[in-house]
Amino acid sequence: MVGPLYDCLANPLGAVRLTFEKAMASVSDPSAFDVRDWGVFEVFRNFLLEQDNLSKVPMLNPLTVRWVQPNTLVRFRGMIQDMLGNEFYVGAFKDESIWRTNKFVDVSQFPMPPSPDMRIWERRLLYCVTVPGLNTWAESATESAVNGHMESMSEQRDKRSIMDIVSSNGFEDFPNAKRMKEDGQPSPSSESRDSKTEDSFSGTIQLPQGDRSSFPCLVKIYNSPESDLKLNEVFEFIGVLTFDPELTMEGKDDNDECYDAIYIHLPPNKVPRLHCIIHRKLAVDDFLHNPFQVEPKPHLVKDVRQALLKHLTAISCNDALAAHFILLHLLSRVHTRIDGVAVGKLSLNITCLNKDNSTLFGSQIHTAIQNLLPFTNRIPLTLEYLNKDSFASRKDYGTNRLIPGVLQLAEGSHLIIDETQLEAGTLSSIGVENVRLLKDLIELQKVEYDFKYYKMEMATDVQLMVLSEGKSNIMPADIVMPFRPSLINSSEVVATGGLQAWRWYLATVRTLSHTIDSEMQKVVENDLVALRQADRSLGGQDFNRLLTMGRLISASFGEASLSMEHWQMVKELERLRKERL
Amino acid sequence: MKTLDLDAERALAKDFLSNFANADGEAKYMNILQDVANHKIRAIQIDLQDLINYKDLDEEFLVRVTENTRRYIGVFSTAIDELMPEPTEAFPDDDHDILMTQRTEDPTENADGSDPHQHMPPEIKRYYQVYIRAPSKGRPFTIREVKASHIGQLVRISGIITRCSDVKPLMQVAVYTCEDCGFEIYQEVTARNFMPLFECPSKRCDINKRKGNLILQLRASKFLKFQEAKIQELAEHVPKGHIPRSMTVHFRGELTRKVAPGDIVELSGIFLPIPYTGFRALRAGLVADTYMEAMSVTHFKKKYEEYELKGDEEEQIASLAEDGDIYNKLAQSLAPEIYGHEDIKKALLLLLVGAPHRKLKDGMKIRGDLHICLMGDPGVAKSQLLKHIINVAPRGVYTTGRGSSGVGLTAAVQKDPVTNEMVLEGGALVLADMGICAIDEFDKMDESDRTAIHEVMEQQTVSIAKAGITTSLNARTAILAAANPAWGRYDLRRTPAENINLPPALLSRFDLLWLILDRADMESDLDMAKHVVYVHQNKEPPPLGFTPLEPSILRAYISAARRLSPYVPRELEEYIATAYSSIRQEEAKSNAPHSYTTVRTLLSILRISAALARLRFSETVGQSDVDEALRLMQMSKFSLYSDERQKSGLDAISHIYSILRDEAARANSMDLSYAHALNWISRKGYSEAQLKECLEEYAALNVWQIHPHTFDIRFIDA
Repeated sequence: MVGPLYDCLANPLGAVRLTFEKAMASVSDPSAFDVRDWGVFEVFRNFLLEQDNLSKVPMLNPLTVRWVQPNTLVRFRGMIQDMLGNEFYVGAFKDESIWRTNKFVDVSQFPMPPSPDMRIWERRLLYCVTVPGLNTWAESATESAVNGHMESMSEQRDKRSIMDIVSSNGFEDFPNAKRMKEDGQPSPSSESRDSKTEDSFSGTIQLPQGDRSSFPCLVKIYNSPESDLKLNEVFEFIGVLTFDPELTMEGKDDNDECYDAIYIHLPPNKVPRLHCIIHRKLAVDDFLHNPFQVEPKPHLVKDVRQALLKHLTAISCNDALAAHFILLHLLSRVHTRIDGVAVGKLSLNITCLNKDNSTLFGSQIHTAIQNLLPFTNRIPLTLEYLNKDSFASRKDYGTNRLIPGVLQLAEGSHLIIDETQLEAGTLSSIGVENVRLLKDLIELQKVEYDFKYYKMEMATDVQLMVLSEGKSNIMPADIVMPFRPSLINSSEVVATGGLQAWRWYLATVRTLSHTIDSEMQKVVENDLVALRQADRSLGGQDFNRLLTMGRLISASFGEASLSMEHWQMVKELERLRKERL
Repeated sequence: MKTLDLDAERALAKDFLSNFANADGEAKYMNILQDVANHKIRAIQIDLQDLINYKDLDEEFLVRVTENTRRYIGVFSTAIDELMPEPTEAFPDDDHDILMTQRTEDPTENADGSDPHQHMPPEIKRYYQVYIRAPSKGRPFTIREVKASHIGQLVRISGIITRCSDVKPLMQVAVYTCEDCGFEIYQEVTARNFMPLFECPSKRCDINKRKGNLILQLRASKFLKFQEAKIQELAEHVPKGHIPRSMTVHFRGELTRKVAPGDIVELSGIFLPIPYTGFRALRAGLVADTYMEAMSVTHFKKKYEEYELKGDEEEQIASLAEDGDIYNKLAQSLAPEIYGHEDIKKALLLLLVGAPHRKLKDGMKIRGDLHICLMGDPGVAKSQLLKHIINVAPRGVYTTGRGSSGVGLTAAVQKDPVTNEMVLEGGALVLADMGICAIDEFDKMDESDRTAIHEVMEQQTVSIAKAGITTSLNARTAILAAANPAWGRYDLRRTPAENINLPPALLSRFDLLWLILDRADMESDLDMAKHVVYVHQNKEPPPLGFTPLEPSILRAYISAARRLSPYVPRELEEYIATAYSSIRQEEAKSNAPHSYTTVRTLLSILRISAALARLRFSETVGQSDVDEALRLMQMSKFSLYSDERQKSGLDAISHIYSILRDEAARANSMDLSYAHALNWISRKGYSEAQLKECLEEYAALNVWQIHPHTFDIRFIDA
């Protein structure tokens, strides 16, 4: 046998084989193993989680892909961008009386004799990309824990990432690549190959954000229920890497019209494949640097809240009310959907920005949010941009791929839409469609994907912030917040420790549960009725908004149920906001 | 694996083909074979449903056929070869036949050996193609459900065609002639590509040690029509948060050109792997592509008339029909998440059911479809109601007044970009033929569509005279419209006519017109507050207090109801006529008539009553149906003019009293039965509770006496 059982890192396939043989000793026919695991999962789960070896598994990204050896264990963090359907493969075959398996590999390790004893199994193909709008700090956080034998490097990087969180991409790329070559990891012939792969990355991948190279990976999923993995969710996949830059697909039959689009458009020499053994869904706190494993204690939470609020106030030019709403907005997420209403969303429209202060404030708030949340995006709404390309993802039947639009965002993303740059003009049909999509997104948290013959609604969970001069009619946000800057502040230097605490705070507090006890319910109900009696224009939407705010305020104090004090605070905040309208 | 006894299987197939008799007692397959022999048809479709119905059914044989279908096509083909009758009619010979005659007349030429390549393969003699069609019982698979374990089996799937290749010839038998020995050499092609032969394998060439050069004879070879297509899952079959899957389908022979992109079809076929060939097999050797070899194509027709009841639905419908409260129950189950609006939901239910179309002897048609218009303030869930109805209806089109495409609502003549021909393209109303067309933003309709919609709503056709094309298209659709008031919000100070931004000619075509207002009252506000708080607290919608029926059951019930065509019995004619004339008189009396009661109104009453009778599964319209129809019309009027009633100074109780007194005076009697009274007041839009209150109040005043048990009324004449 090629490797010992326990070297799961360097020779995971050895472990797969060994367990297969062990399992085959007790069963005569491997047919059942198509849908059932034969113990691989248990071995690796034990190895990674119980023995805590997760950090030793190298993270797959554009840098590491150059030196990570094929057929070793790797990790990949990304968003499911497309689902390419099922793939059928010869899962097990009989090589002269011995059953062999091809699970977790692309190419058989043994010559396959043409024999009737073949079992065809299936696996699912998921096309994953790095999360759109992934911020550098979140990226470096994942990198910092890269692996054991590159310890020196990760240490250095840790320091560096602490020094400057918002480092530019270019700065990051070079020293790493150099260091890697010094380590002698890449093979001698890698120079030319490197440049080749680099070229192909830029060539094949259509990504919405041009600035950051999105790194694709074809993940093959075995034996996991379909409902586990959904589009646009963020996962960590741990499995066997097969990436062979030399494998080219010559002799392609060009005359085949519908032939196997995956191989033509995602050739294996350009897109790495990961045969997934274990996958887990990632939450925001998985992207934190040093995940605090502490309970959110009330006094701790209050302190952090105070500091963060102060920071946000500074960002918003001393407008404390705006800062309050920004904080609530950053904490919002879709909890559930009932009758088409996404409960828990709180989109924010900051108005009264003119041309002068919008650029300053816009970039300030953008950087601030970039530093706080792991995935952030920004759309400058101009006429050309609206008219240029559809925002929604659409299916290209020529290549059988889902072409991502800007609105295909990962769960829990933050999106700033800057309307201040919009000028009067005509919208093309694409523009009209895009405006409708934006409206649907902000009102219903849904994006319609275009499948040409029909549209499909995909539920999203995106925090939307709209910057505009007047109240935005294109995007009716939940909260319209006129902006009242009182002083143009000098940019404040933020301590790293503070940032880390704030990220932790935002990630943790968001997930708190929430209840309203029955007494409080009565109070709230009566207050709502009174409000509606006073102002007929209030509707169900406004009620939803108030209750969401109540939830977020109590969450921001780290409390799980709505108290009278916080409810009063909601009403007070609303009153102050109404005064400005 | 067990080896198959092919001879035995063939005998079974032969037995089935020659002995199967369909419902009329005719030998179905022998008739088909005779037609094939006469060169009338090329396709022999073996329906497994017939095999199931076959008297001497061998269960295991059926299982073997479904699990190894490709092999059994061969088995059936040889069986058919042996059974093929002589042609009974003369038919003109084509090239193929002439060649065949030559080949059979000249047997010595090819008789020199046992070489398989010289043996004439049976395929080349066959004029026909065999297709095995999966039984149509049960639900077809979605593409997602077809698994690795289905490989080689006959499966039935449904989906939408997304891509279609051109029809190309596919070689089935390649025929060569040898330059040296002159023999015909045959090569059977089973895959998509094949390696041509270059050296003559015949014995003579072998003995002569000559490597005879082979020339491919295209005219003598046999080709099949071949088409490749992609089929994709339907939107409703895709689980939330997933991308639709697709599958490659191969069509051969007579099945080509049956589908076009965008068609929704049901296919039965064999799910097969394509082993990779050549270099691909070497490197990526493990992965097998799969495709489906189509065996039959059925286009989906989403119509009530063709709705097939599944499994236990028939029983469920029967038990529902026995339930007395079915009318309310069905209505409640429409858009259960939308609170209240019971009467509107009832009206929408009747819209789904519709009344039968009537065609008079002189060719005049009277429509049976109900048209309903919902008018109201923004944000009162009009659009949601519309969308829900479309989901329940098997054939429904949702559009907005400003239809998004250039085709608009009715139809347009367009230039085909490929052929440059003028083509007629139907708009939403034409597409919704025999279904429901929901038009949102009805008031914002294009002027051209608005003129056309007059015709659609009464004549149910769309006439076109454009670009040299004059025609009229059927648009037998029920229209459900939603419109906003003229000034965005309903202005209570203005008259309804002013608020409704539509011409009366169009309005009169609607059977029912509802106004949904966002009224201010404490109770509904509290309900709303409670609802919102509940949602936030429990993260689920509050319990409805009843379990709504599944949309599929609803659809099944409605389709069952639509099969009936109730008529109005003679004894009811009088009743309806008086009701109609009393409405007319009432209108004539009031100085400011707010509606036009015309013959259309009478037809509406009949339509609504017929729809109600259908819901009861009754062949005749009953008096209760007419009363309910009148009540709905009254309620719809009240939704528009409810403030009018208050202005007239009468409260509900005294109004009920005056209704009853008038009725008693009209009938010239002192007695009024309770049921009768209830009929009358409900027709005017009052509830039973109000009637009881009225009865008690006036009984206390000694105006009338109430029978203690039956509640019948006797006026006390003063």
